[in-house]
Amino acid sequence: MTGDAVWYEAAQVVGITHALNVATDALGALGMVEEADAPPETRALFAEICAFYESPEVPPAFRLIAHDPGYAADVWAAARRGYADNRLSRRFKEALAFAVSLTTRSATGTAFHLGEMRRLGVGPRGIMEIVGVTQMFSSYTKIADTLQLEPDMGDIAPGDPTPAPGGPTR
Amino acid sequence: MPTVRLRAAAEYPPAAQKLFELSSSWFNHDFAEPPAMSRVMAWDIEFGGPHGRAMKRAMAPGEFTRGEKEMVAASVSGINACEY
Repeated sequence: MTGDAVWYEAAQVVGITHALNVATDALGALGMVEEADAPPETRALFAEICAFYESPEVPPAFRLIAHDPGYAADVWAAARRGYADNRLSRRFKEALAFAVSLTTRSATGTAFHLGEMRRLGVGPRGIMEIVGVTQMFSSYTKIADTLQLEPDMGDIAPGDPTPAPGGPTR
Repeated sequence: MPTVRLRAAAEYPPAAQKLFELSSSWFNHDFAEPPAMSRVMAWDIEFGGPHGRAMKRAMAPGEFTRGEKEMVAASVSGINACEY
């Protein structure tokens, strides 16, 4: 996990997962867009989302924000980019999204990403590995915060001197 | 500033020194003083010992690599807004 690129990818997963969980967990009052009543561009969007997840069901977050098709399409484009195989595998990104959902106590996100982990081949042992890491570091962080510990391990990994993608070398 | 005075490694009993050696080995880094969290966990070996073993069990390579798990751990810490 050396180099900054993988950490940028991880941050994208953390951010977009939280954004989708916020909608799923708290936006129910808005009502979900029904595919049968949706305009053609929304149906096309839903079809793309279903293909990505290999599921006949559109995740609720997208049905809740599809009242604005343009906005939903942009959120989906970011989500698809964030979750797709890149330097980090989609399988690992789902594990990360599961940890994010568990940490933020999103029951819907936890269930969704647990299902995705299983679909992508993570077994019971792998699931418990992520549960263990999430739980243990939830403990460490609260102990550190309670005692107001100051960071003291920031210099054990070297910095990444490479430029941003496409940028000039320093 | 920490709520408690973090003791230097030399102020800990022999049983805790073993834990500091394990910590240094775990991070593969020669610390001038053990990390603050290691010293906190060494305060009560009956808590810190099993807590540390549970952490190592969770972080050991399995279906996911140690590196992947470190990334999950960093993300969980970030979400919890933990600066440490």
